Amino acid sequence: MPSSPEIILGIIQALILMALSPLVTGIMRKTKARTQKRVGFSIFQPYYDMIKLVRKDEVVSDQSSWIFRCTPWVNFATIGTATFFIPVFLSHSPFGLVGDLILVIGLFGLARFFTMLAGLDVSSTFGGIGSSREMMTSALLEPALFLAIFVVALTYGGTNLSTLVEAASNSPLLPHPQLIFAAIAMFVIILGETGRLPFGNHATHLELTMMHEAMVLEYSGKSLALMDWSQSIKQIILFTLIANIFVPWGISSSISAVPLGLGLLAFMIKISIFAVSIAFLESSIAKWRLFRIPDLISVAIASSLIGLVLYYL
Amino acid sequence: METIQLDILTISGAILLIATFGVIARRGFMDWLNAYRLQSVVLSAVTAIVGYVTGIWEIYIAAALTLVIKSLVIPKVLTYVTRSLEIEFKTETNPYLSLRASIIVSALLVAMSYFLSQQIPFKSDPVVNVYLPVSMAQFFLGLFALVNRRTALSQVVGLLIIENGLFLFTLVLTHGVSLIIEIGIFADILVGIVISSILLFRMSRTFDSLDVDKLENLRDD
Repeated sequence: MPSSPEIILGIIQALILMALSPLVTGIMRKTKARTQKRVGFSIFQPYYDMIKLVRKDEVVSDQSSWIFRCTPWVNFATIGTATFFIPVFLSHSPFGLVGDLILVIGLFGLARFFTMLAGLDVSSTFGGIGSSREMMTSALLEPALFLAIFVVALTYGGTNLSTLVEAASNSPLLPHPQLIFAAIAMFVIILGETGRLPFGNHATHLELTMMHEAMVLEYSGKSLALMDWSQSIKQIILFTLIANIFVPWGISSSISAVPLGLGLLAFMIKISIFAVSIAFLESSIAKWRLFRIPDLISVAIASSLIGLVLYYL
Repeated sequence: METIQLDILTISGAILLIATFGVIARRGFMDWLNAYRLQSVVLSAVTAIVGYVTGIWEIYIAAALTLVIKSLVIPKVLTYVTRSLEIEFKTETNPYLSLRASIIVSALLVAMSYFLSQQIPFKSDPVVNVYLPVSMAQFFLGLFALVNRRTALSQVVGLLIIENGLFLFTLVLTHGVSLIIEIGIFADILVGIVISSILLFRMSRTFDSLDVDKLENLRDD
């Protein structure tokens, strides 16, 4: 049984993830704006947006059913639950007893399922194309993600996130070669899961470029705030996972003040570097045609396959 | 020290594989050239590592030659001779297997080369263990690029990858053949590239295309 300070720290970790997630979105938007020679909004703009949205009234289509109304809450509840299993600055999360990486992916899948239903529920054409695109990419992304995770799980022995991150932080400086391939695969998959640029574009509401945006197009007010927030939390969870599994430097393994502070600092630095580099990457590439997206995902699948081969060498 | 060395061996092998995949996964000629250049730089680093492990000084010269010829001269020559070609000759738009299928096939080819190299009974030398499957994978991927693609230009790139694989193969198995032979091989490649580029140029002039399937068409002039 985990002790009570561990449980408190676990709750703090989850709350930090939830609280910092709009900030990461803000940093990425600011970086993209600066690379495009714009001044850009403040990095705290996502918070202001959320506060404003919460104060506003909602408009709900009279064609929609209960699915449309409950989807934001389902989304937020599932993705919020997933935050409890993620080691952020302490290498073992006390809630790892009840759930592992597979559960986190399952929760993401549930959230995505309800988002797709909500996109179809309002029977607008935009929601429909958004849902069909999301179904196509997610059907391809999930096997790729599982393959990449199998490589990591085989290397470190287990799908439990605390075991994974602890083993990763104790391993030597140079990673195992199969992890390089798994990291490439995970990076591509994270771009797809968060709808970043070769897959979709967050910044526009054009018919051609929308994927996630098309499904949540009908939302307004508090529901929109919840949907945006859950999307940001999902993004920060995935960033944290890739950072803590593949570059676990600085993560604390003991419950004392100094290593924990250092771990938090290292976490913030790692996440900001990751967010900034993804934003740079997004500025330097164009969106791919929808039917070329499977090419990119097959790169991820092939990369994980080679990782598996290298593991069994 | 020993584990760090092994790590360096495996990771450089992994980077070689990634660079080889860069040729498979892209469409444009410039992308292939960049991937080939990266591959050659890593290959020369690998050659230097083999030289360090075995302690034979001639291998360092081979590494320097690899760096100069394969990562500087050959890409320069290829860009020079292809600068007058139309851009649609330089991109592989219609390979026999689609891009995504060919990526999966090449992953399976890599798996097969690892499997095959485990069947060959060698003494457990870390250099051989790490680089032999990588060199075989390079050979297979180059062969695959050669047969899968239609334009002559990408077949030249496939040939270059096969050559890199063979170079690595001989290097790890024999710890470097004598330097005279190495220099001869390098001269051979250079001459081969020049001849094939002249052929490419004449093909594009005569047939208005670099698609090798069109070579079979009969002409009545």
